[in-house]
Amino acid sequence: MENQSPNRLRPFFENIAFEREDNRMVINMGPQHPSAHGQLRLILELDGEMITKAVPCVGYMHRGMEKMAENMIYNEFLPTTDRMDYVAASSTNYGFALAVEKLLDIQAPRRAEVIRTMLLELNRLTSHLLWLATHALDVGAMTIFLYAFREREYILDLIEDYCGARLTHSAVRIGGVPLDLPEGWTAKLAAFCEKFPSDIDDYEGLLTKNRIWKMRLEGVGVVTPEQAKSWGCTGVILRGSGVEWDIRKEEPYALYEELDFDVPVAKEGDSYARYLVYMEEMRQSTRMLKQLIRLYQESEPGIMAHAPRYLSAPKEQIMTQNYALMQHFVLVTQGMRPPKGEVYVATESPKGELGFYINSQGDPYPYRLKVRAPSFFHCAFYQEWMVGLYLADVVTILGNSNIILGEIDR
Amino acid sequence: MAQHQVEYLNSGGLPIALTSVDKLVQWGRSNSVWALSYGLACCAIEMMAAGGSRYDFDRFGTIFRASPRHSDVMIIAGTLTKKHAEFTRRLYDQMAEPKWVISMGSCANTGGMFNTYSTVQGVDRIIPVDIYLPGCAPRPETLQYALMLLQKKIRRQGANRKQALKRLV
Amino acid sequence: MRRYQDKHNVQKQAYYTDRFNVQPSLPRFEVTEDSLFNATLLHVKGLVDVLEAYVEAGQLVVWVAPKANVSALKAFKTAGYENLSEMSAVDFIAQKGGFEVFYQLLSMEKHERARVKCFVPQGETLHSVTEVYKSANWSEREMYDMFGILLENHPYMKRLLMPDDWQGHPLLKTYPLQGDEAAQWYEIDTIFGKEYREVVGPENRDPARVDARNTVDFSRIGHEVESGAPYSATPTAQEYQEKGGIAVVSKITKEKAKTLKERP
Repeated sequence: MENQSPNRLRPFFENIAFEREDNRMVINMGPQHPSAHGQLRLILELDGEMITKAVPCVGYMHRGMEKMAENMIYNEFLPTTDRMDYVAASSTNYGFALAVEKLLDIQAPRRAEVIRTMLLELNRLTSHLLWLATHALDVGAMTIFLYAFREREYILDLIEDYCGARLTHSAVRIGGVPLDLPEGWTAKLAAFCEKFPSDIDDYEGLLTKNRIWKMRLEGVGVVTPEQAKSWGCTGVILRGSGVEWDIRKEEPYALYEELDFDVPVAKEGDSYARYLVYMEEMRQSTRMLKQLIRLYQESEPGIMAHAPRYLSAPKEQIMTQNYALMQHFVLVTQGMRPPKGEVYVATESPKGELGFYINSQGDPYPYRLKVRAPSFFHCAFYQEWMVGLYLADVVTILGNSNIILGEIDR
Repeated sequence: MAQHQVEYLNSGGLPIALTSVDKLVQWGRSNSVWALSYGLACCAIEMMAAGGSRYDFDRFGTIFRASPRHSDVMIIAGTLTKKHAEFTRRLYDQMAEPKWVISMGSCANTGGMFNTYSTVQGVDRIIPVDIYLPGCAPRPETLQYALMLLQKKIRRQGANRKQALKRLV
Repeated sequence: MRRYQDKHNVQKQAYYTDRFNVQPSLPRFEVTEDSLFNATLLHVKGLVDVLEAYVEAGQLVVWVAPKANVSALKAFKTAGYENLSEMSAVDFIAQKGGFEVFYQLLSMEKHERARVKCFVPQGETLHSVTEVYKSANWSEREMYDMFGILLENHPYMKRLLMPDDWQGHPLLKTYPLQGDEAAQWYEIDTIFGKEYREVVGPENRDPARVDARNTVDFSRIGHEVESGAPYSATPTAQEYQEKGGIAVVSKITKEKAKTLKERP
């Protein structure tokens, strides 16, 4: 490759040479895909149909969120976390809120924890349904896309009833949740949980024993446990390879200690095993939601933590009492000042281990906020994962690895 | 206050003469607006939902196409970053006339909440836009309304119009 | 008198600080005999020179010299920390003259998390740890891209998130949030060339700028007019189709629309 400086006539990407002596072809799967994964650019080197080298180029959705965090107060940054993993927005909100709560050493009240866990599991369902829809669409089973989006609309209806937004919720705040569940919401959720397992049966009936699906997915993209641990893969990729690590069970947060659920683990490590793990996780989420409805009815009202130094008072007090109003004013305009120190808190988002590292120097703005996005490491893993596969398998892997470019690039 | 319908057949008071051939051709074009699926970020999920079964896009005649050569309208859904801007311009240039652009969501309209170093502050710095959709993310119904507005706009244009010079080449 | 802008840190600062305020710190605990981390710390101390070690927020934090980062991580790997969750840097150039690089580790068998930190003075290079943990491959590329910390012996040291010809390292404290001049004109320069800067005009970075009389760029809700037409006070009806409807397509008007109570 000649080492020219790029100009307008020959920008960077046209400097990739296409004539090579060893007869390998370089293909650019550019930033605009027909599949729905976002702006990922994959430069593949092919020997016939087999991939010899795969270089993912990301950064096409880098919006500078970590720098934004250094310029915003903690509460102001929370809606930005929605846009990171935008299919499961409340999970990212919750990860950030939990990290800040760890820094401040406050604990959200019981009912807030119940509502948060409900939101987390609903977001797990939306994320897995979107994964299934886009993965099936890429591999070729287009009906599943329409079916899964139909189910997803029911879940988005529930979330919209609760917090008003379908996609970017900001429904979890630092210290609790801002709103209590509306009337009749638990009844609708119960009706949904009754109906949903039969829909999962529908999808499984269409895909699990399907010969074409099995041929496309079995044996494709095998991940060994050592590879997964070394490359930082977490979530379903790790559990599909036999490693039993789920942060909800191992380092429990929210109400996962009290809930009764299983974590599916598969041995083979290929795409089909991961598909089965995802389907089973959806069933477990429905099981958890049913238990949470009962826990909600037994909990006492109280949705924000009481920490006047860091959090505002409830609205009724702000509107009637003077000191609450003054404190709220200061917290909103200047921002709360957490203690100096650094924390790293990891939660199990639907995609894997989502971690937030916050380094605070006592200012109202975080000094450094780093987001450990699970899709980042799964995308880095493509460099080793895709070598030796065929071109059609690349599409399977892209779908199966469940990446969201909003997280990767932040 | 009297309500009035905006007469789209008038342009600032002067009527545009549309022949019946024009009207027929533009009626055909408006009812089969093929969209380039240019889903970049969160708005892409809402665009996919708009194409799903509840807010069906197919009943408007809109099919999502992968290639810019086949599509009439480019729905820019999501944040455009400076790294990606060049590709957007390339894709726009590859689309065949007549072409329209719908800018969906705050990030595509003006850069949105991302007032940072790497976000293009509005996709109309790069390509000329016909319809701007506010929202973050706009509901699928909003995207449907934008599509219907675009259909109205298409019907009032002449069939043979040259690409009207807009702010950018 | 112009406003004082601290050139070392152009990020947003709190406009009011209580003069006598001393922010408390998160408590740091010694690693004692009966601590969970004791075994790990003893193992690591035997293999590498530890400058400081404490427990903060339930996780072990170990400070080492920057030249010893690879050996420290190898020591932790033999102690059972087989997962590098994350690594990055924190910019302390103005305060201390360098970066604090941290490696966040996880041990799945012991259910422990630890952090290895080292202080890298500005201008010095750091040895890459990709031979110990492969997940550092992209994390280090991102660290280079965002901070400019050079790494030795990395398989593919290239910018990751920013374009390849970007000038500057964005996450430094001296880099403004909205970008410097090269950043603000980047897309116009690459697509159209520098001559088009005057044609397109500067970016609008003011989120509150609204010009109500401008009907080309803005549209008054409820009183929409054609682009360029004069600003009107009469409200406009929001209809989906032209008056009279369109041929063959079914006609919809606001009167015919039904409001549903429950979503089907």
